[in-house]
Amino acid sequence: MSDPVLEVTGLVVRYGNATALDHVTLHVSAGEMVALVGPNGAGKSSLVNAIMGLVRPAGGTVRLDGRAALVPEGRQMFPDLSVDDNLALGAWRRRREGSSARDTAWVYEVLPELARLRRQKAGSLSGGQQQMVAFGRALMGDPAVLIVDELSLGLAPLVTTTLAGHLRRLNAERGLAVVLIEQNARLAFDLCTRAYVLEAGRIRAEGPCAELAESSDVVAAYLGVTP
Amino acid sequence: MSHLLRSPGTLAALVVAAVAAAMPVLLPPSQVPVYVLLLLAAIVVTGLSLLMGYGGQVSLGQASFYMIGGYSAALLAVHGLPTWVALLAAPVIATAAAALIGVPLLRLRGHHLAFATLAVQLILLSLAGRQEWAGGDIGLQGIPQLEVAGYEFADDVSYAYLALAALAVVVLIARNVVDSRPGRGLRALATSEVAAESSGVPVAGYKLAVFSLSAGFAGLAGGVYAFFIGYVAPGSFPVLLSFEYVVMVVVGGTGTIWGALAGATVITLLLQLLNNIGTMEGMPAAAPSVLSYAVYGLLLVLAMLFMPQGLVRGLAFSSRLEVRWGTWKTISSRSAKRRRSSA
Amino acid sequence: MSDLLQYLVSGLAVGCGFALLASGLVTVHRVSGTVNFAQGMFAVVAGLAAGSFLSAGLPHGVAEVAAVTAAGAVGLLTGLVATGKPGTGPRAALIITLGLGFVAYAVEIMVWGDGPRSHPGLGGTIQVAGAYVQRQHLLVIAATALVFTALGLFFSRTYLGKALSAAASNPYAARAVGMNVTRMGLAAFALGGVLGGTAGVLLTPMLPISFNSDVLLITNGFAAAILGGLNRPGLALAGALTLGVAEALVAGYLDASYQTVVALVLMLAIMIWQASRRTALDMEAAR
Repeated sequence: MSDPVLEVTGLVVRYGNATALDHVTLHVSAGEMVALVGPNGAGKSSLVNAIMGLVRPAGGTVRLDGRAALVPEGRQMFPDLSVDDNLALGAWRRRREGSSARDTAWVYEVLPELARLRRQKAGSLSGGQQQMVAFGRALMGDPAVLIVDELSLGLAPLVTTTLAGHLRRLNAERGLAVVLIEQNARLAFDLCTRAYVLEAGRIRAEGPCAELAESSDVVAAYLGVTP
Repeated sequence: MSHLLRSPGTLAALVVAAVAAAMPVLLPPSQVPVYVLLLLAAIVVTGLSLLMGYGGQVSLGQASFYMIGGYSAALLAVHGLPTWVALLAAPVIATAAAALIGVPLLRLRGHHLAFATLAVQLILLSLAGRQEWAGGDIGLQGIPQLEVAGYEFADDVSYAYLALAALAVVVLIARNVVDSRPGRGLRALATSEVAAESSGVPVAGYKLAVFSLSAGFAGLAGGVYAFFIGYVAPGSFPVLLSFEYVVMVVVGGTGTIWGALAGATVITLLLQLLNNIGTMEGMPAAAPSVLSYAVYGLLLVLAMLFMPQGLVRGLAFSSRLEVRWGTWKTISSRSAKRRRSSA
Repeated sequence: MSDLLQYLVSGLAVGCGFALLASGLVTVHRVSGTVNFAQGMFAVVAGLAAGSFLSAGLPHGVAEVAAVTAAGAVGLLTGLVATGKPGTGPRAALIITLGLGFVAYAVEIMVWGDGPRSHPGLGGTIQVAGAYVQRQHLLVIAATALVFTALGLFFSRTYLGKALSAAASNPYAARAVGMNVTRMGLAAFALGGVLGGTAGVLLTPMLPISFNSDVLLITNGFAAAILGGLNRPGLALAGALTLGVAEALVAGYLDASYQTVVALVLMLAIMIWQASRRTALDMEAAR
């Protein structure tokens, strides 16, 4: 196994008296695609926020080798800014750290669909186009690991397939590690090699996707409900 | 007696009432006017606290209704109406004025309403200063002594008891409102208007009612003020007075009657103390105003930052003393239950 | 006819002052969601400070810039107190800025006394189409045009300006790309201080300012900004100019003491008209 780019150890996140994450431990190796599945309220968002440094954990550690970038749930555009500006702001953290800014032209090469939208306001785009902008914005941060929070939510199947193709290609060609948080466990298992099952703030199961898909309780819980 | 001990709220109320009733004769005569003004402020602040705590709205122009009450009483008395009629008319006219301007104004919320109420007061001040019949900038002088059933209110002590009686009436009304079914609806309104509306609370009507009621309280206080001072002018009702009421509500804690009384008392006493310090020998001429502004400001900021619940509830929680009204008990126990179940 | 032109120019000049105040309100509200009641105070501080700097012997230009810088620092400080503590909501922030206005009263009276003060601006008049127009009025109009252009370019062309807009429009996404949204709010407060301060140094030569002029300034600024829902500087500018001209015409043709009443009634009418077009639901969402 190669060195982990993301290593989460014994992570605890609390909101007041409620415990959202209870000693969660997981790791993602360089160039690996890992799925994180679980029902609503399992603590997936808390995990994402803790990895991104948006909530302060009550315990445990998050260690990153390089940067993490987030494709947030619900796309989260800066609606009044152009696509190009949305992309440029993805480099905020990197610019603050003094690294040389990646040009948005790079994103248009990787995601050519965005090139003709560059002057449009992000708020005026379709859901699929916005998800593409969210991808591009995250890539502008030059991440070692890309965290995708709900890839397929609210998107047409065809659009999801396109985005999944991009993700697979970025992983294969550039060695980008990916953490895919998905309601649609079938899609997640299809794309990734390894998976964690999060439930009520704890990791309930982990292993290669193929094995997890065989394990009957997981299949019943997360694969049975989605076609 | 034993049932009173079981209800510390009632006991505390009786003690406070007894002390308040004894104050006018216990205080040195020179301090009685301060006490009268304190009581009048408490009347206005009780209403404003209802509006802020139960209507969920900030009014930066509450002195408008104090002014309307004061001018109404003064005008009617000067034009020869019996003074007790003029005094009773003050809250009625203030309530009516609020009901009238409340219809368009209460479509606004939050900071919009805050600025709108401020604008209303600025407009009133500007207009009053231009009307000859209202005495213009000089104001109305020569308001006759208040006379009720042959008794003439001539000295400060008599006004102290008058103000005390007015405060008692206001507190009783406020308490009944808080404990009533509409009171609970209003409470819901302060937290979420949409939730209150969807659960069948007639939001617009209740808001207008609490706005008018709080204006009525202020109008009553203004009426007493006019007779007590014997003179009203635009300068008697500066915008600053409205802000002062907000400071009192915030320091005491919005939505509690005890908080309103405590806020008015603490601020009035503090200002009096600062005024005494500021006018001591060797202090610069500007010292009283500098000190009072600094204290207003710092109290407001510190109270918002560190005691957003206000003095009374902040203290009550720390000492676990149940000095709040019934509604508060049910609400706090309900929210405590909710907190437990979500955890 | 020449009267009318004079009223128009002086109205535009005063309106420009309101516009600068309003743009400060809009900047702070857009980025931090706070209605900053201390916005008028920034103008008062800068106006009074410029006078002191001038009488201390600083040349014109330097004195004004120093005063505006001081107002920027006061803005930053206001932002720190009003929004620096986690969990301070917009309503609490409004009341805190009101409180800071009082603290400023105390400081201002100590430093400058409680009487109205003014400082000389650009003296003299020039003749335009038969009317005498004060050069200070033209200076205010030109300076405001410059500031609004710069502000527009800052928000639409610079990285930091875009980031400020972004933080305002979607705080979660802004945090996800690594922005410190609270710090962005503070930057907006500092900018608000600079804009308010600019209004103060420009207006003081035309209308003498005392410590409590802030209430009238903030009310006029708010009235202008409300036209664009506190979020749109362009509409705020239009609102401010309308307000300034309306007040000047009322003062010129009717009665000077009614000019504020006209402005305030206009503001109330606009707010009530806007509210009647909105439902309670989106107002609540906006809170």
